[in-house]
Amino acid sequence: MGPDSAPGPAVPWRKVLWECQPFPDNYVDQRFLEELRRNEGIRQYRYWAVVKEAGFVGERLSCVAIFITIWLYIEEGLLSPETLLWTSLVCALLGYGLHQALTSQVESGCEPRTRLADLQSATIFLSFTFGFSPVLKTLTESVSTDTVYAMSAFMLLAHLVSFPYAHPSPPGSFSLNAALFASVCLASRLPGALHTFAMLSCALLVFALWPCLLQRLRENAPSQFTGVCVGVCIGGVGGLGSQWPGGAVLLALALWSVTLLCPLLLVKLQGQKDNIQGPWDEAEIHEDLSHF
Amino acid sequence: MVSDFFYPNMGGVESHIYQLSQCLIEKGHKVVIVTHAYGRRKGVRHLTNGLKVYYLPLQVMYNQSTATTCFHSLPLMRCVFVRERITVVHAHSSFSAMGHDALFHAKTMGLNTVFTDHSLFGFADVSSVLTNKLLTVSLCDTNHTVCVSYTSKENTVLRAALNPEIVSVIPNAVDPTDFTPDPSQRLDDRITIVVISRLVYRKGIDLLGGLIPELCLKHPDLHFLIGGEGPKRLVLEEVREKYQLHDRVRLLGALEHKDVRGVLVQGHIFLNTSLTEAFCMAILEGASCGLQVVSTRVGGIPEVLPEELITMCEPNVRALCAGLETVIARQRSGSVPSPASIHARVQNLYTWRNVAERTEKVYDRVAGEEVLPLDRRLRRLRAHCGPVAGSIFAFVAVLDFLFLLLLQWWVPDWVMDVAVDATGPHGLWRQVPSSKVGAHSKSAVK
Repeated sequence: MGPDSAPGPAVPWRKVLWECQPFPDNYVDQRFLEELRRNEGIRQYRYWAVVKEAGFVGERLSCVAIFITIWLYIEEGLLSPETLLWTSLVCALLGYGLHQALTSQVESGCEPRTRLADLQSATIFLSFTFGFSPVLKTLTESVSTDTVYAMSAFMLLAHLVSFPYAHPSPPGSFSLNAALFASVCLASRLPGALHTFAMLSCALLVFALWPCLLQRLRENAPSQFTGVCVGVCIGGVGGLGSQWPGGAVLLALALWSVTLLCPLLLVKLQGQKDNIQGPWDEAEIHEDLSHF
Repeated sequence: MVSDFFYPNMGGVESHIYQLSQCLIEKGHKVVIVTHAYGRRKGVRHLTNGLKVYYLPLQVMYNQSTATTCFHSLPLMRCVFVRERITVVHAHSSFSAMGHDALFHAKTMGLNTVFTDHSLFGFADVSSVLTNKLLTVSLCDTNHTVCVSYTSKENTVLRAALNPEIVSVIPNAVDPTDFTPDPSQRLDDRITIVVISRLVYRKGIDLLGGLIPELCLKHPDLHFLIGGEGPKRLVLEEVREKYQLHDRVRLLGALEHKDVRGVLVQGHIFLNTSLTEAFCMAILEGASCGLQVVSTRVGGIPEVLPEELITMCEPNVRALCAGLETVIARQRSGSVPSPASIHARVQNLYTWRNVAERTEKVYDRVAGEEVLPLDRRLRRLRAHCGPVAGSIFAFVAVLDFLFLLLLQWWVPDWVMDVAVDATGPHGLWRQVPSSKVGAHSKSAVK
């Protein structure tokens, strides 16, 4: 009773309050903090595994760079919209075939979409985009070019930040919308309606369909997935380098830090982690109580 | 005693302060409570036995906690401390900004300080990282800290990086005469489970909402009586609506402290579903009324009641259902001890007199310790709280000291009137106060 009264007889201390124990109130037993647990359930990362996962982030970064490269080419007139449209069509068909091939390998639980439904959505989208491309082209005419560029840059950044890297299929609605907003802004600065249409189709390919295909690839063929990521990164740096060498250097630096430096920091700093848990922690409700 | 939380607010901290003060007065100490103004309740009030309460006009910011600038409360606090000739400042609750302010100023003025922590805190999120840092700063040069359970002590020692030797464990108590059993209030044709808690997430109301339908389907004579108010009331209303349990699950809304016993005695089983709890007075009140107690095994709860008086379950719906089932079965077979015997067992476990005695010993010890002078206090802040926060708060402490010097020059201590003692060794308040004495002491402090 009371702090620092005379030490009591040799009965073991118990962690209970209902008993009057012959120990002072400020007594510290050997069992003090014995229920403290450190770093419970901590994940030990391996460097190359993290690098592989980070490669996906680099891939997204490069995709944006590739998209900007294509836009630069079209704007300078080095690439005709017809060529872009045909290339996109071929890529889309190839990708669609690959996607189907990869899907058939796994038995999907829900009812698969029919080819007809896919064709229908593609037709609706293309016809609407084609019909509206003159409108989209003049959409930002009253806005200054600087503002349009700034908005596009901001939206592409938002796309990169909010992209659901863990489950990219389907791409998150905010990130997809941000990317399409940026594409509309950029496409509206191109010389003709057909240019706008080609650019938007290409944007859809890069930002909406490509992540779905890549996710399939990641699930079914992890080794090829890594190869594709590396390929896209090289393509992004190379493409940007042909138009804007300084940008390519920056992109290469960014890719290096995202895919190699950041994982190294994560793995190194993981050792510094000191997470403490104990009986004082708020209990978590793990059950799904929504069905009640 | 300084805390943001006092009457008319009601809760564990409030009743702790009140009961502890009453017992200390009984032992011949002079006790003054300082809190912030509640609405029209401001100025100086006298409660039972001459307990003097200062309701200071400080701005309330959030959840009845005052805003703090580290400085603005110094003139008022100094006024109270000097007029009342305070020797020990005892702050309550880590949520109370006013309590931390008072500790800070008291140390500047060279008074001894004690702090009581009533709650548990995690370490995981940003808000707890910040509050824990503040607690470290606040407690690093406080003379002694009191916690309400051993789990709470471990928590506080870790949060504030304290030496465990200067942390005492003194539990809460209940007034057993307020919570006496009355089996005649129970209805024999049913089994009633009583829940009395604020209806908030931390009290595990989601678990309660999960187990009500499961148990009600199995036991047609089971009734729930739920007292308390809060945002999670919706969950319970939804469950009641969905399973058509309006006649079996009664939501009583917010209860006044005096009505709690009337609800408790109607039940057979007391259920507590808290997800975290430093001490949990509710289960003690339930047991004191002779109910079978079922509770989650979280925080300090396993320390509160001996195993024969409580059934503890892991905090999930299935475990709680299983625990309740066994108690219901025991209740039906009549193999539970009588309410009177449970009350007899509980009534002497925790008493406020005992709490006051143990707190008195803390005061005695603290009164003999020296308060760190400014230079050593600064060194301690910087050594103990890290280079950044330590330096910032050392700077704040210097400013506080300069502000105090300014105030002392402006209104010197000897100019201030000394308040008439209502309680304490020379207290003028008698057990049967004549109207003259009462009027005198009141006029003296206004």
